[in-house]
Amino acid sequence: MKVGDKLILKKTSVPMFFASLASEMRIVAPKKRFAGDVVFDVVESPKEIAWDYGHDVYPPGKRFLFPHYEDMFSYRTDGGIKIESLAEAPKQAIVGIRSCDVSAVRFQEKFFGEPIEDPLYAARSKNAVLFSLVCNKPPRKECFCICCDAGPYLDKGFDVQLTDLGDRFLYEIGSEKGLSASSEGGYMLEPARPEDIAERKQIELQADSLFQTASFIAKAITYITSDDVPDQVWEELGSTCFRCAACTNLCPVCTCYTVEDRPEGNGCFTRFRSWDSCQYAGFTREASGHNPRPTFGSRVKRRFYHKASYQYITRDGTHGCVGCGRCVSACLTKLDLPSVVKRIRRAMHEYIKSPHEPAVRKL
Amino acid sequence: MIDRPTICGFCSCGCALYVEPKYGGIGALCPSTTHPVSTGRLCIKGWNAIPSLIRADRLRTPLVRKSGSLEPTSWEEAFSTTAEALRRAISESGPKAVGVIGSAKITNEECYSLVKFARGVLGTPNIDGPCRFYDASMVRGLLETTGIPASQIDLNSLQQAGSMLIVGANVMEQLAHVGSRIQDAVESGCKVVAADPRVSRLAPQATLFLHPHPGTDIVWIRALLRTILDRKLYAEGAPEMPGFEELRTSLEDVVMDLLPKTAGVEPSAVIEAASLLAKNPPVIVMFGLGVLQQAGSTKIVRALADVAILLGGSVMPLRGQNNAQGASDMGLAHDYLPGYGSIFDAAARQKWESVWRCEIGADPGLNAVEMIKGCANGEIKALMVFGENVALSAPSTEYTIAALEKVGFLAVSDLYLTETARLANVVFPACSFLEKDGTFTNIERRVQRVRKVLDPLGNSKSDLEIIAGLSTLDLTGSSAKRKVELSNDPDQVMAEVAANVPHYEKVSYQALDQAWGDPWSTNGAKPRLAPVSDRAAHEDTEYPMRLIASRINFHMQTGTMAARSPTLAREYPEAVVELNEADAERLKLRPGTVVKVSSRFGNLTRPVALSDAVPEGCVHVPHFFGGDSANMLAPFDCDAESGVPVYKGLHCVIQKASD
Repeated sequence: MKVGDKLILKKTSVPMFFASLASEMRIVAPKKRFAGDVVFDVVESPKEIAWDYGHDVYPPGKRFLFPHYEDMFSYRTDGGIKIESLAEAPKQAIVGIRSCDVSAVRFQEKFFGEPIEDPLYAARSKNAVLFSLVCNKPPRKECFCICCDAGPYLDKGFDVQLTDLGDRFLYEIGSEKGLSASSEGGYMLEPARPEDIAERKQIELQADSLFQTASFIAKAITYITSDDVPDQVWEELGSTCFRCAACTNLCPVCTCYTVEDRPEGNGCFTRFRSWDSCQYAGFTREASGHNPRPTFGSRVKRRFYHKASYQYITRDGTHGCVGCGRCVSACLTKLDLPSVVKRIRRAMHEYIKSPHEPAVRKL
Repeated sequence: MIDRPTICGFCSCGCALYVEPKYGGIGALCPSTTHPVSTGRLCIKGWNAIPSLIRADRLRTPLVRKSGSLEPTSWEEAFSTTAEALRRAISESGPKAVGVIGSAKITNEECYSLVKFARGVLGTPNIDGPCRFYDASMVRGLLETTGIPASQIDLNSLQQAGSMLIVGANVMEQLAHVGSRIQDAVESGCKVVAADPRVSRLAPQATLFLHPHPGTDIVWIRALLRTILDRKLYAEGAPEMPGFEELRTSLEDVVMDLLPKTAGVEPSAVIEAASLLAKNPPVIVMFGLGVLQQAGSTKIVRALADVAILLGGSVMPLRGQNNAQGASDMGLAHDYLPGYGSIFDAAARQKWESVWRCEIGADPGLNAVEMIKGCANGEIKALMVFGENVALSAPSTEYTIAALEKVGFLAVSDLYLTETARLANVVFPACSFLEKDGTFTNIERRVQRVRKVLDPLGNSKSDLEIIAGLSTLDLTGSSAKRKVELSNDPDQVMAEVAANVPHYEKVSYQALDQAWGDPWSTNGAKPRLAPVSDRAAHEDTEYPMRLIASRINFHMQTGTMAARSPTLAREYPEAVVELNEADAERLKLRPGTVVKVSSRFGNLTRPVALSDAVPEGCVHVPHFFGGDSANMLAPFDCDAESGVPVYKGLHCVIQKASD
């Protein structure tokens, strides 16, 4: 076996394949929960894996590599300072993760890797191997990964990519990590035949044609980058915001966190970090009380600058969105990426129509 | 590991969420996607306030006051000290010397047991809930009109509304899941008529936004009713409704031309509102604390229900607390029993006498506000408070704290050492909703299963265990063997509720383990129109400004839980009073000037901020924490019918603090 191999894993072998993997690492996979909910979690047995799940609202790649709440280290202040790392980096396979989330993990790896490496993230990501599952059709109406080059299947960037071909999975090895995780159960894998590849090609074509949400982000990128979007559009968008910050919490690309010390008694404290959001006023308010982003509109603007201005695209290599659609379904109003992109494009048309208004363009 | 969902215990929307226990705390949390309310979404409090339930300063052990200070102790000592104090109070002054105040944060099972404990075990009629400080007028006003002391509709039917009348509610900030559905409805063409003295965040959704003078809702709503009647805008069949003629007669004194003077509203705006609502059915009428804490609140509730009934629409009262509805359903009130049977109704009393095997007198006892007065005047010798920070939620903070300091014995059960608990003789460490099983009933009447996610912190116990534990002791000094039995098993308590409260007859833990809970049935309710009389306007020339008190979306209630979230506290770092620019100029106040806002009952000091949203002649005081709320300015004058104190539209005056 080598990186780049296309193999077949029969569904009858799937439980045994992942059971053999489980001796080396924990398996994290979609699990059925109450009333049809699906949440990724550690599975005891591969039989628990809900292969037919659609999409998890709680981004698994982010959650298991950059946890929502993560203890970093503890320190004591009585009798001299003592610091002890609490970093955890379990060996884990995230099985069934979608292409969009794999793309997001690659984004976060880059973000947390350079220019200064985040050791907690690096350790977790080094010990994690992703077995991603191709979407034969977009699992939710909110999905728009196709507009972000992040799915529904990947050509590169995956460790192992699985495509459901009915009674078997096409098993593609995309990285050294993926290759090494394939060795234990390797005897269950057999080479793919040309008809398997053809069937996969058919699935790609079909999946591509089934998206219900589109986001033509390119034009918005131009307007945002050149600061052409009138402030009143941002303020109008901000006026409907419920300030919940679900957009950034559930965004698999967003990386912001805050730190806090939890007193444990006897002069001992735990430093932990948890997801934070640029949508909160307190996120940017300075010690003087001055806030460079004082209004809701200015914070919405900030979010979209980070998602879709060239400044960041140049730095990060891609715009900050993988089209997973979570901001669409998690937003209490309509401040999701496709809606805002649409609003910006429409707004530009409105303003271009009346070129005499001073707010139109900054010359 | 994320296992089974529980229900968020912050606001009344009642989202289902998953919480992962980790490091003895919380490792992860996310909304349920299939739940009919959360639908994969949470509000700012859902996302941030859950960890603040288990902060380091949570009470982990009972406390007993010894030589002036609260000292950690055992449960045995906390219980025996309480039992002894109750026995003394009851043997010296009778059971009516004991008062019990419950909470709308605790579960239905706990509310029910607390009522049973007070009425059955202690034998006191003085049992009440926090509805007295917030929304009790809604229960009374709606029982007399729609016949349903709750919302008539569920949240998802908001999307089908043709028009909405939303009065005195900061709904976009306080109830995000309601606000979100209002936005969706507006996008599909729903017309919103909003009324608030201040320009609230509803403004972008409103087709028509009325800004009546504070405290004058009854005036313009009567005019609205009169307009609907005079112009025959009512739904077909409305004239046959019982009470139609009485309503018409009661509105004969409405003078439309006086509206600009009496309420600050143009007659044309009222006519437009009536026509917008009538032309866009179905109509949904919503109202919040702006109405419920105003003078004459019960009257306004009746008037708003009349509007809904006349137009063939529905009413959704915007109750704030997670279990406000359930606490009412469980009879956590001084004047009615579980299931809303009046304390004056002999049949209702007999029913509960036989269920609880105790005697219940036709005595409404004291309500929560009266109990606080009773603490001050010596009528109450022992007060027990479960999960309510009365020191801050009751009016006239200074008076309330003095009353609580004066009462012979105060027992408080809470998560943290609240402003109320600090004054107690015994403090019980209660556990949060993450650490116990039970049910909450949300704003839609949906009875939902709360599941234990974490083990109780330290030695804390659920209120159900505390109440059941206390009930096994001799609390009354009576030698007769007590027959009232209280279970500490929530499943068993709910079985008793289901067997005896008709609204809950279909509720069982077994069913709630299979599917999300449903709203309780409103079948059999007979709506009727109620007459609405005017209320004499009250002017106070010495205190010429009017107070607008509001809540903001970063916080809940008195801040015991929410203010402990660093993320939420960071969003609202400093308390301010907001003033219109014209007033600030007239009073020579700059932004940042520290001012004293005074009423006849108290004062508070805060820096000024300017806001276009605040009308001239008004001061806007958003609630802050640690007692710095508009409640400090409120009197003990209550709505005569419901006993809810008047917190809204108070007369006040503003001056530089340095003067």
